[in-house]
Amino acid sequence: MNALAVAITALVALAIAACVVASLGVLLMRNAYARLHYVGLVTAVAAPLCAIAVALAEGLWPAGAKALLVAAVMVVTGPVVTHATARAARSQFENGSTRAES
Amino acid sequence: MNGWLLAAIALLVALVPCAIVLFRDRPVDRLVALESAGAIETLQLLLLAEAFHRPVFFDLALTLALLSFTGGLVFARFFERWL
Repeated sequence: MNALAVAITALVALAIAACVVASLGVLLMRNAYARLHYVGLVTAVAAPLCAIAVALAEGLWPAGAKALLVAAVMVVTGPVVTHATARAARSQFENGSTRAES
Repeated sequence: MNGWLLAAIALLVALVPCAIVLFRDRPVDRLVALESAGAIETLQLLLLAEAFHRPVFFDLALTLALLSFTGGLVFARFFERWL
């Protein structure tokens, strides 16, 4: 295995580990606010790691550029969706339709 | 079977906790799990595109990234206004 293959394997392994930790966090946390933090782990950490691994494996054009674009979309849109979901969770708690703490 | 395909299969493990929350918890928690599952699925499509050596499959990942973002916003707005 050359250095490039080792780097690609390490990046993908880190991305998978981040996704598994994030999904366990979504399962184990007690309320929506805490769970939302783990969505950021997928969009901000795992996505760029995965895209960089694909770009290293395939070269920058066209596959690497597409993968990096996907990661850029996820990094930019992730916080927007997180904020919107947190607002929705707050409105649910304020309306009394659900409790803030389980 | 190559390493990319194994990595994509390994990501299936990450979907199981999201599925448990989707079946079990309150609606807003289910929305969080749905967003998390959508993001994980997008990465899985990237890995599958690499595994099958089909550059056109990267467009699927891009489409899913955009649609899951839009869908999450629509659901959040729905929860805010009508539930």
